[in-house]
Parts: sequence; structure tokens; C-alpha cells
Amino acid sequence: MSDPSREDERELVALAKRDPRQFGALYDRHFQQIYRFVYSRVREQTAAEDVTSEVFMKALKAMPRYQDTGRPFAAWLYQIAVNAIADRYRTLRPTQTLDDFHDLSVGGPALEDVAAQRDELRRIWAMVEALPHQQRTALVLKFQEDLKIEDIAVAMGKSAGAIKLLIHRGVTRLRDDAASLRPVE
Amino acid sequence: MNSYHDPELDDILHEDDLRHIAATLSSAQAPEPPLDDAFRTGLRRQLMKEAWSMSEGRESWWRRVFAPPGLAWAGSAAGLLLIAAVVVWVGAQPPGVNTIEVHGNVDGNRNVALQQPILVSFNQPMDHSSTERAVQIMPATTVTFSWAANTLAVQPASGNLAPNTQYRVTIGPGAKTASGKQLSSKQTITFVTQPPATPAPTPTPRATPSNALSEKSLTSLSGTTALRGQWSADSSTFYLIDGSGALKVVPASGSGITTIAGDGVTALSISPAGDRLAYIREGKIEVLTFASGQTEEIAPTPTPQLLGWAKDRLLWAAADGIYGADADGSSQQLRALPRAGDVTVVSIAPDGARAAYQTADNLLFVLNLASGSSVQVGQANATFAGWSPAGGQLMYVTDDHTVVADTQGNTQATLARGDASWSPQDAILLGGDTDLYQVRPDGSNLTKLGSGSYHTPVWAPNGTAFAFARGGSMWTGVAPPLPPQPTTLDQATTIVNAFMKARLDGDSDNAGTYLDDNGKKAYGSAGMSLIVTGDPKFTRFYILTQEITATEPDTAVFVVRLVLTRDKIDVSDYEETLTLVRDPSGRQLLIDQASAGSRHDLGKGAEVVSVDVELDSVAVTFDSDLDPGTVTDGVYIADSKGKRVDAGVTYANRTVTLSGLGLKAGGQYRLVVLTSVRDVLGQNVAAEYDLDFLGPAEKKHGNKKDVVSVSPEPAL
Repeated sequence: MSDPSREDERELVALAKRDPRQFGALYDRHFQQIYRFVYSRVREQTAAEDVTSEVFMKALKAMPRYQDTGRPFAAWLYQIAVNAIADRYRTLRPTQTLDDFHDLSVGGPALEDVAAQRDELRRIWAMVEALPHQQRTALVLKFQEDLKIEDIAVAMGKSAGAIKLLIHRGVTRLRDDAASLRPVE
Repeated sequence: MNSYHDPELDDILHEDDLRHIAATLSSAQAPEPPLDDAFRTGLRRQLMKEAWSMSEGRESWWRRVFAPPGLAWAGSAAGLLLIAAVVVWVGAQPPGVNTIEVHGNVDGNRNVALQQPILVSFNQPMDHSSTERAVQIMPATTVTFSWAANTLAVQPASGNLAPNTQYRVTIGPGAKTASGKQLSSKQTITFVTQPPATPAPTPTPRATPSNALSEKSLTSLSGTTALRGQWSADSSTFYLIDGSGALKVVPASGSGITTIAGDGVTALSISPAGDRLAYIREGKIEVLTFASGQTEEIAPTPTPQLLGWAKDRLLWAAADGIYGADADGSSQQLRALPRAGDVTVVSIAPDGARAAYQTADNLLFVLNLASGSSVQVGQANATFAGWSPAGGQLMYVTDDHTVVADTQGNTQATLARGDASWSPQDAILLGGDTDLYQVRPDGSNLTKLGSGSYHTPVWAPNGTAFAFARGGSMWTGVAPPLPPQPTTLDQATTIVNAFMKARLDGDSDNAGTYLDDNGKKAYGSAGMSLIVTGDPKFTRFYILTQEITATEPDTAVFVVRLVLTRDKIDVSDYEETLTLVRDPSGRQLLIDQASAGSRHDLGKGAEVVSVDVELDSVAVTFDSDLDPGTVTDGVYIADSKGKRVDAGVTYANRTVTLSGLGLKAGGQYRLVVLTSVRDVLGQNVAAEYDLDFLGPAEKKHGNKKDVVSVSPEPAL
């Protein structure tokens, strides 16, 4: 059975390919997630605005050449965003603390557990920032943006297998770096 | 999180601990980042404009205009092009169809630059004369029109828009297309302009290449990796305790190192005047007077552990308390340590008023020597790192950070973790295994100075030279100065903007943090509301005027205008006068007094939107173009007795400048705008406008007492 929202998106994409003036609906649909992703990488509002502008402007201009490969349209936008961020910050890394960004939403645990989990979460996301660029991007897209492996592959211009390898290496390295982190039994 | 399961990852995350990491990562929910709605809508407009251009199969007008050649033209016409813009097109319909849509590129924007070209595009030819006649702009503004193909530019004749102003650009139904079709109804575009331009912020200096620090190795530390010692008051010499307990005199030049004591030295301290050096050797205190070369010995009981000074009085810490030397050679205990024997004094403050001590269970406390009270600073595992030059604040390190706190333990700033040193010029060095950074105590102006090992850096009093440990040796270097600190007025402006933003957001808790006790009482009194509710709605604010009125303590007075809006139109406003005073700690400006004026309706004649007060002149900016003939008699300054102050009056670009005033600092004055002042449409100011202000205590943005001055040359 087809996904109604995907069908809806396909229709919007087809319209925008024919008439760029229809691109506004796609912008409205995806602005928030792309902006959030960009902000999470650059951590500075003005820079996030610049990169987000670049992403959507490039997408608009490339719409006539866009090929629907069956993956969500957002995966293509993420791909443009990943490249734009890499271009802009090829030599720079975000420096702000992660404490205010990765928050823990814990449903259920007792109050005394929440602080410990929050602390663990902050530490582990801080370690993510220290990972090599490709591993870091793959982990952010998988665990923060909740993208599927195939969509991350589109966004990063790699095969699904390569993405799995990046995630495995990233998670393994986090495990090795975080000796104090153990499964909660 | 044990229940975490992602089929996509089953084949790569077999082990429990890997799945646990994945579960932890996936439990993070990123909160929505800060987002300016104006950016979102502005980007959409930009995209749609581009989309229109693409659909027409040609490059957009604005791109051609603002391509380099066009930009050159624009540069030559700088100040001429400015505008409210209108985009009219007939939807997706071919020309001649009845539906006419009107869009403004700045419609709804709330931060429009005063000199910002606005994009204009039409999809069919318009009749120029009828369209121009149909354009109305409020507030009253003299404009000129120009056309580029199907594009209309409406530009203020003065070259720019008024600051802090809501503009309404109306296209009346008289506008016709070239084919004679009329607009079915008037269309209005509203937008709000930015505050007036302020001086450009001081640029943050680029990171200095590591080889630019003039680093040099001076002497071996004889088996230790940390630097212990102190610079002389003139920054020419470093008094070093090396790993063998020898006290050495190390000139900054590196040559002629001498030894005062060959071994057994455990602590030293140079008097604030720089005339005496005290050090502890084998349980006794030796006090060397530099001028005479004489040494006095003190053999206190119990054994002294570390030294300090309260002006010219020598202090020392022992296991049971803090002691002071008296002029007659005797000594007395100034304050017993709480839990004696269970705590260790780690430092005496530079002013001799406090001491920091660490408990056996690794908690850090500050002991007030006058009152005997102790305050815990930081949480568990806080380790003392240093004092501010005057001793009013201290630094400690945690597992993750270096924290700047006041002596009550209140955190002032959180910096990167590192070996810290605080200079008299209020710059903090943060050293470590891999980098050296310089930063202001509030966390601003973080600058990387070098890469490499920079352990236990110690600033010289001149604030440019510093010593540090690297590879078992003592090194020195020279740090470039940080940019000047923000002026008091800049700091106050930041506070006022944050306070008003919190109120605009309805965040009373946050807004309350900018008020002292008096300020809280003011907003609790009749007629004052911290959170402004009701209809019309509080939608924006701007600072009308700002000035420093006193310096001891720093006092700033701001007049802030709160604008109330109904159906997107600004309908009324009122002013609040806020007085900010620096708190006794000398660090923070808080709102101490507040009062509010009465509401008045907008849209009835020219409004004052900015007042710039200097001792010799006052510039009053209006939102409307004025009839110049009404300005000279209608705008003036009165003194505290109501007498008009003599002034030269000029008018240009909506601004009336009253010059040659010779205001007295702290004197009471009133700006008066009479109802005889008219705009270019002949409309008089609806009611007399008065603004009370004090003669400013200092010039804005100039160098002031809180601007850093750094000795030009290090004594190296």
C-alpha cells in the first residue's frame, strides 16, 4: 500500500519540476527540518540562515533536473545541506557546547534516573562531535534526524553499506571512548 | 532504553553495549533552534522571486541591477535608492485576467534596513502615471518613482527610510494596468525599519600564529612540570620556585639568573607595592626588602603553609587559621579555619580580604577574613584556579570547565577548562596540553593564541608578557592585547534589549533577572506592568535615547518606546524610562528605577523616533519628512527652569540637530516638540512631545575608564 504522504509529496515535486513557482509548498514542508539540521551542525543562527538559504536556492534552481529515485525529497535536500555545510566549514568545527541542544526526553524513568541519563546523553553527544566528519554526519542523520539508511546514503552520496559501516565505526568508537557508559540493566 | 530496536541496525550492532549507545543517541530530541520568522518568510519571498524569474526564462531584474556593473551604478547612486516595493502580478493567469495580486518584498518584515534595495517585479505592464498617483506612504515621506520594465521603485527623496518606524505603503484602486484594468481594491504593505545605525563592533582579532608570541625558554624547572612563582611588579623579573625548592630570580631577558635560596622554599608572595618578597623556607618566613637587600625572619607557630598580603601587611595561612604580621614583629591569628586540620588553605586573595580553602572531601570554600563566614564555591571536585586581580572574583575548574564566580559562589561565566591566569587588564589565559587561549572574564573575545603545551601560565602585571611551563622548563611569551571591552553604554544597551525581549516574549522570570530590588518594586507599583497584556498588543520596542548619567556607580538612563499593535497596524505607543545602576560587586548593571508615560495614538502627525544626546548637541529624528519652515521654532531644548537653551538648528533627512548647546553633565533638560511642527503633507504634530533627559556624563562609544589600556611593550 502506498504512503499517502509520499504520494502527496511526489505530486508536489512533479508540480515544482514543471513550474518552479510551485516550489513554495516544498519549502513550507521541509524548511523546519533542514533549518534544524543545519543549525545543529553550525550552531550559529546567522550561519544557519546563510546555509539554509543556500540549500533551498540551490534546490530551486536544480528542480528541473531533479530525478525521483523513490527516496524522500528531504533526502535530496539533506544532501545539498551536507555539501553546503562541508563547503562552508571545511576547516572549521562548531565550538559551542552541546548542552543546550541535545536534550533528553525521558518518558517513564524515575526522577533520579533522569539526571543520570541526561548527563550520559550530553557526554555521548559531546563525543559524537569529536568523531571524524563522515561518521559524525552519519550518526546525526540517523539518530537525530531519524533518517533511514538508504536516505542517509542519498544525503551523503554513498552506498547504504558504506553508511552502515560509518555508523558501526562511529558507535563502536563511542563505546570505546566512553568506558563509563554501560547498559542499564 | 533497553527496549531500543532498529531493524536497520540489527546486522551491524550485535553487542548490547553498542545497542545501548545507539539507544542513548536516539533518545536525544533536538529542541527547535532559534528561528527568526522574518528570515523564514523572507527566504520564501526570495525563492518565489527567483521562481518567477525562472518561469519567465530570464534573469531577474534585481540580479541584473545588482550584478557587478549594476552594483557600480548603485554605488555611484548610493543613498538614492531606497524603497518600499510592490510586486504586482496577475497570479498564474495570462495578462488581462481579473485577479490582481499585490505583494511587497518587505511586507510583514520587522527589521528592514534603512538603505536596502527592495526587489520589484511585475508580470504585466502597468500604466506608470496612474500607478504612481495611486501610491501612498505613511508616515509622510517625499518619494520619487522609477521604472525598470515592469518594475516600480518608490524611493524616499532623502535617500533612506526613518528608523524604528512602521511604514504603510498603499496601492490605491486608481492603479491601472497598461491595458486599462484597475486594481479592484487598495492593497497595503506594512513593514518596520531597523534602529539607526550604531558604530561597527570592534572586530575580533584573528588567531595569532603560534610563532608570533615571541616564546623563549629561560630556565629548567628542575624536575617539575608546573610553574610556581610570581612576576615582579614592573614585569621585569620572575621569582621562581623550581622542582628542587630553589628560589630563583629569572630576568625576563633570560640572562643573569640568580638564586636567593638553594632549596627548601615552598611558597612566595610579593607585596602589592612590589617592594618586598616573602617566602617560606623550612617552616620559617623570610621577608626580603628589595631596596635594602635586608632579610627579616619570622618563625611562627604553627608552621606557615602559604603567603599573601593585605596591602603592606604580610599574611600567612597555617593549619589552624590565617595569621597577620604586626609592625612590632609579633603576629596574631586573624581568623581560625573552620574544621581546623580537616581543611587546607589554597590561596589568599590579592586584597587580603579572603582566603580559599579546600576540604578533605574536595569541596572548595571562600572564607571572609573579616566576618569569618565561609561560602562554598562550585560543586564537588571544584579546584581553585586563581583570583581576579582585585580579589573580588575567583576562578575554579571542574571536570569540564573553568568557572568564573564571585566570592559568594555565584557563577559569572563558564569558560573552557584550562590552567588559568587573570591579568590586571581583565584578560584570562587558559593553557593546557595543546592550546593557549585568551578570553575576557565574561567569556567574550575568545582568541586562540597558540598551539602547543602551555601549562600553568602566569600573566605579568603589564598584561602582555606571560610565563608558562613547557617540557620541564620555564618559558615566556608575549600575548597580543584583546579588543577593548564594551563600554558601559554598550553593556547597558545589551541589558535593556534582553530585558525588553523577555517582556515581549512574556517571560517574566527572565525579565525579572534584570531588575534589582528597587526595579522589582517599580514594576510592582500601580501603572507599571512587567508583562504587557491586552489589546492592542505589545509587539515591538525600540530604544529612543540612551545616555550615561553618572560613573560612580555607573548609571545609565534609557527611554524605551513600547509599540502596541492591532491588526498588524501600530496604533499607539508609550515610553518607559529605565535607570540602570551597576551593582555593588561592580560587575553587573541592573535596572534600578522605572517609570512609564501615558499612551498616545500613532498616525497623527510626525513622531520622534530617535534622540541622540551629546553634551554639545542633540539630534532628533522624526518618522516623517518635515516642513523645514516649522522646525526652527518648533523643536528646542529647555533647561530645568523651562528656559529655552540657545542652539543652532539645522534640518536634514528627517533629523533636526540642535547644536552649540553646552549642556552640563547631570543637568536636567527637556526636549520639546511643539504642535506647530508639520510634516510635508501639512499635518501638525498631534500633541506637544516632551522628553526629559540629563546632561550626559560621557561621550558615547568613546574610550572610557573601563577601556583596557595595555602597556605597549613587555619587559622582555
